[in-house]
Amino acid sequence: MNTLPDASVPATAGLGASRFSAASLLRTLARWPWGAVLAAVFIAVLACITAFPQSLSSDDPLSGDITQGLVPPGAEHWFGTDQLGRDVFTRVLYGARYSLLIGLAAMAISVSAGVLLGVASGLGGRWRDEGITRLFDVLSAFPAVLLALLVVTFLGPGLFNIALAIGIAGIPKFGRVVRSQTLLVRRADYVTHAVIYGRSRLDTLLRHLLPNVLVAVPVIATINVGSAIIAVSGLSFLGLGPQPPTPEWGVMLAEGRGILRVAWWAGMFPGLAITSSVLAFSVLGQHLQRSFEGRL
Amino acid sequence: MQSPHPVLKAALLRLGSALLVMWLAASATIVALHALPGRIQDILAGDLELPGLKEAISAEWGLDRSLPEQYLDFIVRTAHGDFGSSYVMRQPVSSIIGSQVLPTVTLALLAGALATLIALTLATLTAGRPGPARRLAATLELGSASVPVFWLGILLLMAFSFRLPWFPVSGDEGWRALVLPTLTLALPTAGILAQVLREAMEKTLEQPFVTTVRARGLGELALRLRHVLRHALLPAVTLGGWLVGSLMGGAVITEKVFGRPGLGTVTLNAVLSQDVPVVLAVVLLAAFVYVLVSTALDLLYLAIDPRLQTP
Amino acid sequence: MTHHRSTLSSLTALPTVSLLALLAAHGSAWSNEAGVPGGQITWGVTTEPACFNPHRSSQQNAFLVIRNYIDSLVGKRSDGVFVPWLAKSWSVSGNGKEYTFQLRDDVRFHDGERFNAEAVKANFDFIRNPKSSAAAASFLEYYLRTEVLGPYTAKVVLSQPDSAFLESVSSVKLGFLSPKTLAAEADLCSGGPGLVGTGPFIFEQYQRGQSVSFRKNPAYQWAPGFAQHTGPAYLDRVTYRFLPEYAVRTGALSSGQVDLIEGVQPTDISAFKDVPGFKLLTGPSSQTSFTLNINYRRGVATDIRVRRALRDGFDVDALVKSIYLGTVPRAWSNIGPDNSGYNPRLAGTWGHRVAEANKLLDDAGWTGRDAQGYRTKDGKRLSIEVGYPQPYVRDNRDLLIQGIQAALRKNIGLDLNLRIVSNGEWTKSLTDASWSIYPNTLNPADAALELRDVLGDTGFLYTKTVPDGGKADTELTGLINEARLQSDLKKRQVLLDKIQQIAVDRAYIVPLFAPHYVVAAKRQVEGISFEAQLDSPSNSHDLWLRK
Repeated sequence: MNTLPDASVPATAGLGASRFSAASLLRTLARWPWGAVLAAVFIAVLACITAFPQSLSSDDPLSGDITQGLVPPGAEHWFGTDQLGRDVFTRVLYGARYSLLIGLAAMAISVSAGVLLGVASGLGGRWRDEGITRLFDVLSAFPAVLLALLVVTFLGPGLFNIALAIGIAGIPKFGRVVRSQTLLVRRADYVTHAVIYGRSRLDTLLRHLLPNVLVAVPVIATINVGSAIIAVSGLSFLGLGPQPPTPEWGVMLAEGRGILRVAWWAGMFPGLAITSSVLAFSVLGQHLQRSFEGRL
Repeated sequence: MQSPHPVLKAALLRLGSALLVMWLAASATIVALHALPGRIQDILAGDLELPGLKEAISAEWGLDRSLPEQYLDFIVRTAHGDFGSSYVMRQPVSSIIGSQVLPTVTLALLAGALATLIALTLATLTAGRPGPARRLAATLELGSASVPVFWLGILLLMAFSFRLPWFPVSGDEGWRALVLPTLTLALPTAGILAQVLREAMEKTLEQPFVTTVRARGLGELALRLRHVLRHALLPAVTLGGWLVGSLMGGAVITEKVFGRPGLGTVTLNAVLSQDVPVVLAVVLLAAFVYVLVSTALDLLYLAIDPRLQTP
Repeated sequence: MTHHRSTLSSLTALPTVSLLALLAAHGSAWSNEAGVPGGQITWGVTTEPACFNPHRSSQQNAFLVIRNYIDSLVGKRSDGVFVPWLAKSWSVSGNGKEYTFQLRDDVRFHDGERFNAEAVKANFDFIRNPKSSAAAASFLEYYLRTEVLGPYTAKVVLSQPDSAFLESVSSVKLGFLSPKTLAAEADLCSGGPGLVGTGPFIFEQYQRGQSVSFRKNPAYQWAPGFAQHTGPAYLDRVTYRFLPEYAVRTGALSSGQVDLIEGVQPTDISAFKDVPGFKLLTGPSSQTSFTLNINYRRGVATDIRVRRALRDGFDVDALVKSIYLGTVPRAWSNIGPDNSGYNPRLAGTWGHRVAEANKLLDDAGWTGRDAQGYRTKDGKRLSIEVGYPQPYVRDNRDLLIQGIQAALRKNIGLDLNLRIVSNGEWTKSLTDASWSIYPNTLNPADAALELRDVLGDTGFLYTKTVPDGGKADTELTGLINEARLQSDLKKRQVLLDKIQQIAVDRAYIVPLFAPHYVVAAKRQVEGISFEAQLDSPSNSHDLWLRK
């Protein structure tokens, strides 16, 4: 399954201050290759669709005209209809929120737990560091899909549970990078100076350590959102995700698989949606990574 | 006393680390099992309401004994390969797994070999050569890495089973039934592998020794195959563990798409029927294989990297 | 649609039924063509039997596999007449409590042991024993004992008359295993050569997750009266491959990997119907129709207005026609239209009255609406859950329920919450009576038994009381118990009709459609038929390959 290996972000990347402003952002965008711009635009559109699917379609994703089942793509139904007469285009639009939001939720779980553990590990004494590193090893010893299956066996199927499962599986990715960043930053000059000047530990942590440790995180997150989306829709495809009639993309593919012989559109468009979303995030993520490394 | 050979020392450390991970994994699952709400007998029995079943489970897992005893018992049994019985399928778990492992392993090995071959070919031919070929290869790789395994399988089915009846829709009769599943499983992995390989190769091509070898008149292809590849493979070798993990996860999905029997199907059915012993066993086994492969590859890495040899 | 009544009344009255039965049997046994012996076939079937032991299996789709090695005492013909099988003849005592069976003397188990009265006794005693946890025990509800009157004469004694007994005895679930097998007390669910029966095929090999194969029993001479030929099977070997997915089975037959398949989804019928090289056969409607059973003692379903609104709030016809492409009829009762116990007067009496349904809900106080358009009362949404156990989902039935869900939402604002649940959850919801709607068809059995199973107080749905719930409908359960005891068929049918009418009228059930099996095969496969009592394709005894 396409979960990525741990991204290699150079350890010293991002050290030092960096400032963002709207103007500099626009200027940066203008210098991007067209692929990355396209990806960014696509993601923006996706965000709109996730928030306001009704803006592009007025049909009901959950019901349709039962007498119009399995109609091929045409003027009235751009992506055709499924067996219950539901408009596939509308369902794909509404499906965005499940795959995307759950993918992002899983990412959020990985990030927060990973960062917490990574910082704790990097800052902690030898035993704490060893212990948490071994935890990362244990978590990454299970192939992600199988780990998710194990979690779902215990907790039962459902959107939240698969988000949790995939989130847990993704902890080591972030944990390890944050840990190595923490180890580096901890010895950096400005941290030592802050300590000498008598800043409290919390202050040092929040003001100096975290911003520099966390700089790598958004890049890795963007790169890995794609595999989170695939993981979520994959588990839904297997039947472990949301219940019908939820228009989740993986569920739609599972439903469409049985009628491929007579209705190719049911198996085509949800998959296209997944692939495009993942592609967009991957392209954007790769570009961010390159410019990140280029900043060295 | 002489200090032990550094490679040997590293090897032993790795092995120890691997064993530690396995032990921790087994422990984690036992902890999770006990942390769940409800009695463990009920969880393991699933839906079956046979008389005497819960007592039998209790006896088998030693649930009436103290927690440390249960834990020790579980570890010992697992180390011997005894994963208990599946009450949903009414069979010892080890025999269920044993009977289903072959089709999955066949598929995974073939797909792994194919993915590696594709990745090697693409990377070797296009690394460091700016131009349309490289851009195309890079795009293809990105594309195939973004395609979900299950969708790729569906597309291949539509094209080569329904429209052009070249390959069977399912099952595992004969070599034809292996073609589409292998492609499905291999392509996404090949995409990622190729990206990593190419980056490694391009880094290697920037090394000074390459200029020297070129100056000696060695052809480009021979250069890449004989010298650059060896150096580039080193970081890629560490990816082997990830490759195995990815194949195992992908096998579950591929078997579902193509209706192939195998460990993936068994696991999925076990998850859907909450057949805990089977899922536990499969996941632990998968972790074991993964750790084994990763450790072996790390050792290999240590052994062949000239920079790590003793002076 | 004609329905066929069994001639039990004549059997109860006349002890000398053997002549009649023999004549009837001969009338149906001769086929038009002599089959060609030899060869092997492969089936593609939907379900891998969870249990190969006939006494314990209640999986409808497993029966067509199990029937290959298991015979029964009597057989049921498609017109409802009971014909001889392992029993040459039988008689019933005047009080209806004693059934004396004259067994054939040439029947042998696959291990060579004779099949005799002792074997009958061993099997029935074993099934009835609560320790055996046999699902078939429900057929032996009134069983007291079997008396061995002679080596081939067995008398079954019941505690009260049971009009369903002959039907039960014709079922595969009361089929016979060798007494040695029973005595070994091994767990026979996993199949294997230890599963010794008398059938036309012998259990050869079982590969979990893949297939099960049987080889011919050359000694077989005791085919049932409804079979197309007596004598051993034509085929040397038959294999059943487990292909759970529709598209996979269709593809397997199209590409020639299997010779015939059962369970063809409506969208795939065009792949085989009138297509050169293939043939398509449709079986009779199953004994029970696919029905939503509503737990009327719990939650919002205790209000009859809510139940009636659910029943009438959507267009069953349109949904069934659309999803099944017109291949199956909608149902009016939970008893199937081809079942002799079916109440034909229910047709057209209910359904698709959306305006009335809305009025009922308004009257019941569900006048509020929430943001998604569902009705609310006191802030609570009108919601009922359908827990559909995953192992029983097949035949696009979950899709049908999704269609109902969408229609109910649009038409009357009722939230039919469909959940595909694991078997464990389902069993739990039975034991604590927390289930709200259970969609199902039943294993074939006598109609009185079927109604008892789903609506009676000793069936499997309503045995446990609902904490803080409503009471059982004693009028209904009283009728059901009465029907179970009534041996006079005419009087019994009056009761069965009333039971179905009450169940539909009070909306305890919402019948949906009458399923049937569809078998698709290569053109060379001949002898395909359907076993009436089993609701499924027959076993492979009559199959042969045209060269």
